[in-house]
Parts: sequence; C-alpha cells; structure tokens
Amino acid sequence: MDPLVRTDSLTKTYTLGKTEVPALHTLNLAIDEGEFTSISGPSGSGKTTLLNILGLLDSPSGGHVFLEGSRVKYNGLTNLHKVRLEKLGFIFQTFNLIPVLTAYENVEYPLLLTKKSSAVRKELVEHALRDVKLWEYREHKPNELSGGQRQRVAIARALVNNPKIVLADEPTANIDSATASEILDLMRTLNEEEKVTFLFSTHDQLVLRYAKRVVKLHDGMIVNG
Amino acid sequence: MFKFVRLATKNVFRNRRRTIITGLVLIFGTSALILAGGFVSFSFRGLSESTIKGQLGHIQLYTKEALQREEEKPLELGLDSVDALKRTILGLDHVRFAMARVEFTGLISNGDKSAVFLGRGVEPEKETKLAGYALAVDTGKFLGENPGNTEESEVVLARGLAKTMKAKIGDYLTLMTTTSKGALNAMDVKVVGTYSTGIPEYDERALMVDLKTAQQLLVSQKVSKLVVVLDETDKTEEVASRIEKLLPGITARRWFDMATFYNAVVHLYNSIFGFLGVIIFVIVVLSCSNTMMMSIFERTKEIGTQLAVGTSPLRLMINFLYEGVIVGASGGAVGLVVALLLALLINALGIHMPAPPGSTRGYPLIVDLVPSLFIVVFFLITITTVISTIFPAYKASRLKIVDALGHV
Repeated sequence: MDPLVRTDSLTKTYTLGKTEVPALHTLNLAIDEGEFTSISGPSGSGKTTLLNILGLLDSPSGGHVFLEGSRVKYNGLTNLHKVRLEKLGFIFQTFNLIPVLTAYENVEYPLLLTKKSSAVRKELVEHALRDVKLWEYREHKPNELSGGQRQRVAIARALVNNPKIVLADEPTANIDSATASEILDLMRTLNEEEKVTFLFSTHDQLVLRYAKRVVKLHDGMIVNG
Repeated sequence: MFKFVRLATKNVFRNRRRTIITGLVLIFGTSALILAGGFVSFSFRGLSESTIKGQLGHIQLYTKEALQREEEKPLELGLDSVDALKRTILGLDHVRFAMARVEFTGLISNGDKSAVFLGRGVEPEKETKLAGYALAVDTGKFLGENPGNTEESEVVLARGLAKTMKAKIGDYLTLMTTTSKGALNAMDVKVVGTYSTGIPEYDERALMVDLKTAQQLLVSQKVSKLVVVLDETDKTEEVASRIEKLLPGITARRWFDMATFYNAVVHLYNSIFGFLGVIIFVIVVLSCSNTMMMSIFERTKEIGTQLAVGTSPLRLMINFLYEGVIVGASGGAVGLVVALLLALLINALGIHMPAPPGSTRGYPLIVDLVPSLFIVVFFLITITTVISTIFPAYKASRLKIVDALGHV
C-alpha cells in the first residue's frame, strides 16, 4: 500500500537578494496512514519548510510530493485549495483562529467551504468540539479562551472535515508545559481512537516523547528517521 | 451564503472607529448628492414653471410659414380664425385654456421723447390666469382691471420703459406702428400700471396692451400666436403632437424648445452636478479603498489561515466584496435618512436665494424630495463602495499563503 504522503528528492531553495539559501536537500520521506510522527531539529533545519510543502502551502524547487499515491502538481498553489480543504488539516503555533467568530463558528468555517448541509455541519462541529472537550465553550470568542482552549478549538477545526493528515507546526510553542501535555494527550488519543494521522514539527524534548516516530532534520537533510 | 455575510458583517464592525469614519464619508457623500440633486430639481422645476408662466405657456401655435420666413408686413403670416382654432384646442385632454397674443414693435412717445418698444397684445384675464405670481405689477393695475374705463385704450409699461418715458399712472402716451397693410398708424393709450419682466434688458422696452387694442393698431384680426396652457407640464409633448396631427398647417412649438435661458441653466447645473458627483465618487473610492487596504493589512495572517484551510481565492474576494456591500448599503441608508432630515430642515427655514444673473428676482431655497433620486444615489454609493473594494480584495486573494501566515 502506498504511503499517505511521500517525497522524492524534495528540494527547496530560497532566493534572498543575490544569495540562494538551500532549505531542503533531496529529501526522501514517507508517512503512512495512522502515524503519529514528529519532525525535529534545531531552528533553521527546514522543519517548517517541509511542513509547508507537504501542506501544499508552498512549492518545492525540485523533486516531487505524492499524496495518496498521486503526484501533486504545484502549478498555482491557490488551485490546490480543494485538496487542502478535503485532505489536510492544519494546526498553527499561534492558533490562527478568526477573532470575530465564536469557537463553534471557527470550527464550522472549513465546512462552509463544502456543500454540506446545515444539519450535517452542525453534527460534525458538535462531534469535533466534544472530541476536544470544548462543547460547553462553543459560544466563546477566542479572546475569551485560554491558550490551551484556543489550541483545542484549532485542533477541532483541523479535524472537522475528516482530513487524511493533520499537519501541526510547533503546536505547543505558545502554551505552558502543563497545557502542552494536555494538548499532546488529546492529539495522541485522536490518533489512537480515530486513526487520525498527525505530522508535527517541534524542537521541544517534552513533545518529542509523545511521538511514535521522530524524523530528525539538520540543515535541510534527514539525519535520522 | 448567509454565514459568509454574517462573517463579513462581523469583520466590518471589528474596528468600529474606522468603520464609523468610512461611514461618515458615505453619509456625507449620499447627503450631498441628494441635497444638491433636490436643489437642482427644485431650481429646474421653478425655472421651468417661471418660464412657462412668465412668458411662454406650454405650447405656442404658429402657422408653418411664420417659422420658415420673415414677415414683410406685421401679421402677414399670423393665425386666422382664432376662435375656431381655440374651440378645437379646448376639446383636447389636459388643455386648460388657449389665449391669443399679438407681437408688434413701434415707437412710443410722450410728446417730448420717443423710444422703441416691444409690444404684446394680450387677453388680460387669461394672462393673469397663466402668470399668477409671475406677473408682478409694480404700480397701478393690470389691463382690464380698471372699472369704469370702457372707452380708453390701456397700456402697462415695463419698469425701465416707464422710467424712460417718465410715465406715471394716468398719463397718456402715443404708440406708433406699421399696420398689416404697411401703412403707419398711431393710437393714444392710457398708462394704467407698470410691471417687471424679471429681465432688465427687456424691462427697458416691453409693454402690453389689450388684444383688441393691438389688432386695431395693426388693422388686422389675425394674431401672432396662440398660447396653449396645460394642467400638467409633463403632458407638453403629448398634447403638442396631437395638435400637429389634428391641424397639419400649424406648428406647435414646445416650451422647452423655446426656453433658451432655461436650457442654458439646465446644462450649466447638470455640468456642475456632474462635476460634484465625480468629486464625491473619487472621495468615496479613495476613502473606502484605504479602509479596505488597512483592514486587509491587519488581517493578513487571518487571510493566510483562511487560504490554508481551503478557502478559494474567489471565495475570499467575494467575502471582501460582501463587506463593501454592507459598508456601502449601511452608509447609503443612513445617508438617505440624514438627507431627508436636512432637506426638511432647510425647507422649513425659509431661506431666500439672491437673484440669479440676468434676473431681478430672487427665489426661495427649497430642496425637492425626489424618490427616484434617493434610490439612484443609494445604489450609486453602494456600487461605488463595492468598486473601491475590488482591487484590495483582489490583492488579498493573491497573497502568498506562506508569507501571509508569517505576517506579524
């Protein structure tokens, strides 16, 4: 069976003025369905760059990315919005919730981009919020929630459309360690019970302990994993 | 769609101060256009009624020939069988009455001094019926209002001519003119009143006599024209067309084809109003574009997130356009209410405007409440706001997702 996500000689080079800065070097990586994998490495190792390319938020300079066995065509990233909507979920370091919307409306937002009916949307949002144990806070706006609660809402939003894989870039960087543990426990539970595939980047040792598999990056290359 | 409109509404009011300032610009723009348009409408209405009542009537009937060549003798090309013509005209819908006029020129003398005059023979009762307030008799009375005077021919002089002739009420002057047969004729007339035409240059020469007096002076039963007065100015074209079909030898001149001054004023006011509209359009576009650009700049990260979770660039653009519609429609609606209240206030204050160039009479400052103007301005402001949102919305939809997410 094909891996859920696979890269083949993936390369990314940034151009800063006249200087070319290589971020990823002929990287080969495979993520199977159901994995709970972390990408670790020091700052500048290419973790975020890798996640952005796998999340179809950025395009590689060379090599290929395969999603469910099909090669991703990066001609016009904005055209990949449907793939992101249907197959991917995102959790950001700074939560990235829409401040004028309630927790319920933030989680519902991706569903509004689909053709799902109001009744189906309601069911999915409730399921997602209950999974993250925030149903009672559904009418609260982000500024009325703690950091941990906001990240839970973000997790619910990432999951509400039943994505194939959830990509999390430093998901615990902006919360305290106790809350971080709760978040990671939640993600782990979702992985084990609902078989959600998680790929997250971190340089936090506490976070790494939760991962079932750790892929180490250094200067844009995989050194371990 | 409703949920996206709700999101757009929440985004519009997330920065209240900025939204209020933009709203004030829209309210100002809406009110300015409606008040200016209402004033222009009143001015046009007043000027058209003044033109109709003061001089022209709604329609003037001539023989076809009279408008094709110059007369060699007075009333050579005038209308004949006037009573029969009047009966025919009075049978048409919307015609209130028809009155005859004789236009003639000659010399007026007080025995010591002579001056050229522009004379008009009229049916006094009907002229008063037409002109109403517009026939401002300064001193004395109008023609036919002097009981007991059945024998003497009367004249009313325009202000300037009375001054030139040093004529007072009760004085006798002599009118000299060429008859319809080409001979000279003269008649003594008694000054019974003076009036103002509202145009200083015309006031120097004008006078009016009874129709019969003019016809006696010119030795003819013809008239220069028949002036038709309607119950509704809007029916002018309809009635004129019917007359021309009914009476093929007659030309019916519509008042708006003869009102040179009125047409010049309309053209001038339309140009000014159009220019004002352009200025307001530019102000609204710049203000709303700026507001939207600021809003997008502040929400760059949020836009990146929306694109990341699967929002299409088109959907993102539409969401911003919704915001434009909400801001424009809200500002426009409040602007309508403000304009209405201001118009009512202005109309209640009874402000008087000075006389315009070429006239001697001022007029009241009134703002017409024109329903179609309210509707058009509302949609214009809303559409202008949406237009000003297009470019910022497009730029937002084209943001590079990674850069937007990394925006601080």
